[in-house]
Amino acid sequence: MLAYLRLVLICLVLFLALTENAEPANIVLGLLIGVLVALVVRPAPDLLSIRRLPLVLFNLARYTLWLAVDIIRNGIRVARIVLDPKLPIRPGILAIQSEMKSELGIALNAHAITVTPGEQVVEIGEDGVLYTHCLDVVASAESAEAAQRTRRRLMEGIFR
Amino acid sequence: MLEELLYAAAALAILVGTVFSMIGMIGLLRLPDVYARLHAAGKVSTFGVVLLTVAAILAVPYAWSRGLLLIALLLLAGPVVAHAIASAAWRTGVPMKGVCRDDLAAHRLVTDEQHSARAVR
Repeated sequence: MLAYLRLVLICLVLFLALTENAEPANIVLGLLIGVLVALVVRPAPDLLSIRRLPLVLFNLARYTLWLAVDIIRNGIRVARIVLDPKLPIRPGILAIQSEMKSELGIALNAHAITVTPGEQVVEIGEDGVLYTHCLDVVASAESAEAAQRTRRRLMEGIFR
Repeated sequence: MLEELLYAAAALAILVGTVFSMIGMIGLLRLPDVYARLHAAGKVSTFGVVLLTVAAILAVPYAWSRGLLLIALLLLAGPVVAHAIASAAWRTGVPMKGVCRDDLAAHRLVTDEQHSARAVR
């Protein structure tokens, strides 16, 4: 019940922020939409707790910032490969073990890898092995482990 | 003063986004196979558009909340689309060119055997 109320509240706040209109009729409409969304989505009970929200938001911001730096660094590396007249790619598929255990964790891990230029998850095997296609598989294999460790550290702050 | 700064930042975002998209399209033309080309196409359709949306938010600050939501959705959806296409290509057996290392090859052999075993049955 609490999870439903929380989701309705989040939807209401989001709706009011998007419509930029706080008239009573609009608030009622936002509540109705929130209830509708909550009925369709059926929120998981312990995914998000209000008490941990500030910490989670802080960790989410830190994770996003790290991801942005990683994206820029790899973007420059891939741009250099693409613009090189010799096109020095070493394509291949690398098996990367996901550091997270839950379904959502594996999905977020795969998202973090795929959003990085030059790496892209093709298939997810048993036990959360992420089969990743890399433009430069040798360089990616070297840096994958350290990157996975950092991702895990940052994501644990969001989930637990 | 602030407005000019915002405009300068927006111009920078447009410039970076456009250069990024251009390099991506060059990559799309030059890279050899589906998987490598998806890198180029997938990242352009995510970050090229995100940077242009950032520019729009900075230059016209009326609907920034909607713009931020759009950016969040783009960043979530772009990689999912690229992964879906790559996965579909692999499952239908599109080959890779000039492979250096393939950790999925063993996996593919196993599933092929399973497929043929199923076909025999």
